[in-house]
Amino acid sequence: MAAAEQQPPPPEGCRPLSALLGGIAQAAYYGKAGITEELLRGQLYPEAAPEEFRALRAKMGGLLQSIASADMDLNQLEAFLTAQTKKQGGITSDQAAVIAKFWKNHRIKIRESLINQSRWDNVLKNMNWRVDMKSQSRHIDQINTPVAIVEMELGKNRQESEFLCLEFDEAKVNQMLKKLSEIEESMTLLTQTT
Amino acid sequence: MRSARQPISARPQAPPISCGGFHRGRSQSGRWVLCGGSGARLVCGAMASGSAAVLARALEALDLDGATDKINLIPQDFFAELCEQVIQHLNHKISGINTGELCQRLQTSGIEINVGDLAKIANIISFLFSTAARNNLSAEELVATLSNAVSTLPKHAVQVIHHVWNEQGKSISVSEDARNMATVGQFIDISWKLGVAMSSDTCRSLKYPYVTVTLKVADPSGQVTNKSFEMTIPQFKNFFRQFKEMAAVLETV
Repeated sequence: MAAAEQQPPPPEGCRPLSALLGGIAQAAYYGKAGITEELLRGQLYPEAAPEEFRALRAKMGGLLQSIASADMDLNQLEAFLTAQTKKQGGITSDQAAVIAKFWKNHRIKIRESLINQSRWDNVLKNMNWRVDMKSQSRHIDQINTPVAIVEMELGKNRQESEFLCLEFDEAKVNQMLKKLSEIEESMTLLTQTT
Repeated sequence: MRSARQPISARPQAPPISCGGFHRGRSQSGRWVLCGGSGARLVCGAMASGSAAVLARALEALDLDGATDKINLIPQDFFAELCEQVIQHLNHKISGINTGELCQRLQTSGIEINVGDLAKIANIISFLFSTAARNNLSAEELVATLSNAVSTLPKHAVQVIHHVWNEQGKSISVSEDARNMATVGQFIDISWKLGVAMSSDTCRSLKYPYVTVTLKVADPSGQVTNKSFEMTIPQFKNFFRQFKEMAAVLETV
């Protein structure tokens, strides 16, 4: 991808900058390995000197980090980027536009990634269930009663899972439902007040 | 999707079943082997013949010296409580043996024992009782066989075993049907907490709510454990929805 300097305007460094932000996001938020400075420079800004590129990458990376860390909405973003254009050694308004567009497109995905990065306990990765008829039983009165078998896949992010297999009769499912309703109630209260 | 439970003999690839008994097992030499561990309530194809000798041979195969050291540490009333829980579990009166709680109380009394040790002892007692049940042993036969096999067992422990077996041993009905409980646990209870992650080192403005639940479950051998995990709001909603669906199916079936 040739650097924008060699092409006539539109905005200088528009496409490469967008791609640079993409590369930064891949490395920082989407967990892609092997995205080195050299790689990015070679692909996007081959005409640029290494130190020059390093400075650019650092500046863009820093801006993206500030924006992501504050989870900026559009108003905050506009104010922030405008301030950056007015700074000494800041960004151009074209660059600001590119950054704004990138954030709008990637905000949700980046936020999800940041949330995942801070989930260190077991998470529920998957859940399956079926309903069996008990054809044999320890107590005569339990013959031919339906029972739910639930399989839950638990584990920490990016680590091996444990499969928990549990049996629930109707009473236990109802017990579970009661507790889950309590959680839902609390959750509703929470989202109402925030 | 409904499926009937099949007896183990009907299943094409039955997982290794442990009957806790002594029979010609899977070892290549065809030697007598001890089948499985913890006195599970299953019956495999080859039933051992009913006699105290069966129990004796089985006990020989277990490493009981380590266990008796630990049993020595447990006061009589705690040991009695453990045996009661074990036999009630075998009688399907309770869904699990609360080793965690018992261990905590023991530790508070100054006894140095951990949950792992206690779980092993519970398993051994469970095995003892279920083997005795399968072989129709009287309390005297049980105790005599036990004392012969394990001379280091403290007298109070033997007395407890005799007493508990005498009182409740007859009511253990070992199911003749092969019910595969080897992989399924029992749900006992759920605790939960709702939190909001506000901020982290990688993100100053996280602000996402999540719910942490702890499931109290009894594993197939009866041990009660806690399993906890986290869910985001959408995950929780899905979790809730699945259980509602389950309830609907259970009602209509």
